[in-house]
Amino acid sequence: MNIIVLVVVFFFMLFLKSSSLAPLSNPNFSPSISLGFILIFAFLVGKIINRLKLPQITGFILAGIFCGPYILKFLSIGDVENLQLLDGLALSLIALTAGGEMRIAQLRKNMKAIFSILIFQTIIIIAGFVILGLLGRSFFPFFSEKTIAQGFALSILLGSLATATSPSTTIAVITETNAKGKYTDLILSTAVIKDFFVIAIFALSLSLSKFLAVSDKAFEAGVMTMVLREVGGSILLGSLVGLGIVLYLKFINREKAVFILGVAFFTYQISHSLGLHPLMICLVAGFLVENFSSRGDSLIQAIEKVSVPIYVVFFAISGASLNLEALRRSWVLALIFVVWRGVLKFSGTYVGAKIAKEDPGFQKRSWAGFISQAGVALGMAVIVERAFPEWGGEFKALVLAIIAINQVIGPVLLQRLLFKVDEAGKKQIDK
Amino acid sequence: MKAIFAFFLLVLIAFLGSQFLFKRKKLFLPLSYFFLSGLIYVFLGLSLGKNGLNVLSSAVLEGLKPLISLGLGWVGFIFGFQLEYRYLRRFPQKYVELSLLQSLFVISLVVGAFGWLLRSLFPSEPSAILYGMAVALGLLLSLNSPSLLNFASSDISQKGNYFHLARFLVSVSGFWGIGGLALVASFWHFPFFEGNIFTRGLVLLLCSTIFPVFIAYAFHFLTIKKTSESDLLVYLLGLAFFASGTAAYFNLPSLYVCMVLGITYSNLTRIQEKLYPLILYTEKPFYIIFLILIGALWELNLDYKIALLAVILLILRTVGYSIPLRPFGKILRFSFPLPTLFGLCFLSSGGIAIAFIVSLKLIYPFPLIDVFVSVALIATILGELLSPWALKSSIIKLDTEK
Repeated sequence: MNIIVLVVVFFFMLFLKSSSLAPLSNPNFSPSISLGFILIFAFLVGKIINRLKLPQITGFILAGIFCGPYILKFLSIGDVENLQLLDGLALSLIALTAGGEMRIAQLRKNMKAIFSILIFQTIIIIAGFVILGLLGRSFFPFFSEKTIAQGFALSILLGSLATATSPSTTIAVITETNAKGKYTDLILSTAVIKDFFVIAIFALSLSLSKFLAVSDKAFEAGVMTMVLREVGGSILLGSLVGLGIVLYLKFINREKAVFILGVAFFTYQISHSLGLHPLMICLVAGFLVENFSSRGDSLIQAIEKVSVPIYVVFFAISGASLNLEALRRSWVLALIFVVWRGVLKFSGTYVGAKIAKEDPGFQKRSWAGFISQAGVALGMAVIVERAFPEWGGEFKALVLAIIAINQVIGPVLLQRLLFKVDEAGKKQIDK
Repeated sequence: MKAIFAFFLLVLIAFLGSQFLFKRKKLFLPLSYFFLSGLIYVFLGLSLGKNGLNVLSSAVLEGLKPLISLGLGWVGFIFGFQLEYRYLRRFPQKYVELSLLQSLFVISLVVGAFGWLLRSLFPSEPSAILYGMAVALGLLLSLNSPSLLNFASSDISQKGNYFHLARFLVSVSGFWGIGGLALVASFWHFPFFEGNIFTRGLVLLLCSTIFPVFIAYAFHFLTIKKTSESDLLVYLLGLAFFASGTAAYFNLPSLYVCMVLGITYSNLTRIQEKLYPLILYTEKPFYIIFLILIGALWELNLDYKIALLAVILLILRTVGYSIPLRPFGKILRFSFPLPTLFGLCFLSSGGIAIAFIVSLKLIYPFPLIDVFVSVALIATILGELLSPWALKSSIIKLDTEK
């Protein structure tokens, strides 16, 4: 029945968006029809994809890509831009849930493994991309057209970007599969903490790259200070927001859904005006609420209860935002980099887990949980584009293509892993 | 800074609500229903909008526009979902006839009075627009909200004929008003047709009626098998949003399209018990956000004309619902008398009226539309403020005396 309704809704939309009906339409409301359509269409695609034993969010992303500005154009670039605010709200809610999934006791227990994996992934991935950049000069025009210093800078930046994992995708797959257990905890905690770490590493790489690639530039400690301010500011604001939620739950505890939406909206607004990271702010806030309020659990559960529509909207818009033009232009190189990143992720996770004395199964398998990439990596690519106008555009296009591939295969790999280690469905059993 | 201030404003209102206002026993205290019905959030929106702190600036509102049109659809769906034939047929047919007569009378009264008043106050405006506005105000007055009676239900110990009749009338009256809105939006479609108005209008009206029926069947087929709560929520939101988004895209009223969707689905499905908790769970947050956004959209321009029109509209509501009750009661041969006093219980029009106002604001981008919004919102708010007192003086008194 899902397939029939999907086909009918699809053809209906095709008819509604046809040029013969255009004179009757009001283009100002194009985002409204697009949002309504994408919510039901992406969800049905997710359901069908799920029958093929793939995660629903892959379906949401694919539906977004399919209906987006590069294929069917049901959502124009303008529609996608108009839906950014709703997308931002959804991201804040997802980040609150992700933060709320981390408990102090678990973090303490896994601290050694988390930091070991984090450090070795970062070192091995950056080193691996530098080696690729140096060895691949003769094979890839992308590198050979640049000076050695520029190529080196580019490799460092690609490496620091490749370290990132998407916490929003990770939490979405975990919620969808109802997973619980050691792998789930470690992968989620590492992905979340890594986000903070990656931003700092990226800032350092950016300063170093500017120093290397632009001959008259001195090493810019200022960039580092700016990023530390961003990370510190986000943690501070996140703590304040978290404290605010804790107090609200303690003294008011009414209209929680509206309050949380208000929090998400104002966090989005404030973070934009202060240049902070809404994702980080909400992660910290969610973490504080879960760990320092007796009612935190109920709040996180309340958000989880409506998480499916939020995920559908967020990932479908993410899919529609993926730049297929960039993928078309550089898919071969992007594919090579995706495979290379996968190899390095495996090596980094393996070494990190081995040093932390995790069991051999974990050492070999857990890399699959760190493949997905989304917003943070995208934001960094935009910064590189602005910092290096000569080749930044080309770099951004390549990164967009890499993200597009990783965002499609990442959730699949994580879901497979959670089923393989028998953690999927464990949360439901506990309840 | 403004955003932080606005955030604290939201918390303060929630705090006030939790401490003093969301307690049903205080329903009949002055101002309490103003908070209880959520109208305070319209003012919160107004203070956050471009006339206030500008946190919900024009750019932000543009980004949230899909949410507003979808919110309208949601209100329409919830309203329509309550119109279940199996439930409605328990009431005598004369109740439906009374509801129709009341609506027709109120609409005619307002069209007559405001058709003249508006032409006198705004002589330079095209008369077609002024008559359109008078019709819109008439349709607005035909709407009633069941919220007050639902809230008061537990406080009323003696629920007699008047209570049950009033509850029926306020629950179904929206059907006529929203149906009228669909007629106006189809035959007076914006951008205006240059010819063939009747045929084109009829096609639009048919489309806006058949399309949601079709969507309701899709929804029914999707939920015919056992469906989890989270899937049900997405189907519900997805299809309601698709219907309301489509309506908004073609400048048709989302409120009507989703009302038809709600009516059709509630009469098709057998899982009402499963859906009601879901609707209840999502209704309030949606409604509050909707009210805040509406407040932010409101271009408040208080001049004597607006104040005068709002007061007259409120007087017409009181008169229009009270005066003809006796003759209507006689024509329809009611077994109990319908005193003029009974008409006082129709002062509250709540969320459905606000949704109606916003529908028109979104469909018709005329300069005069802001005058309509201000008049209609002020009259609605005044009606809400007076309605608990009016309820106490009408139904409770009548049922007790009986």
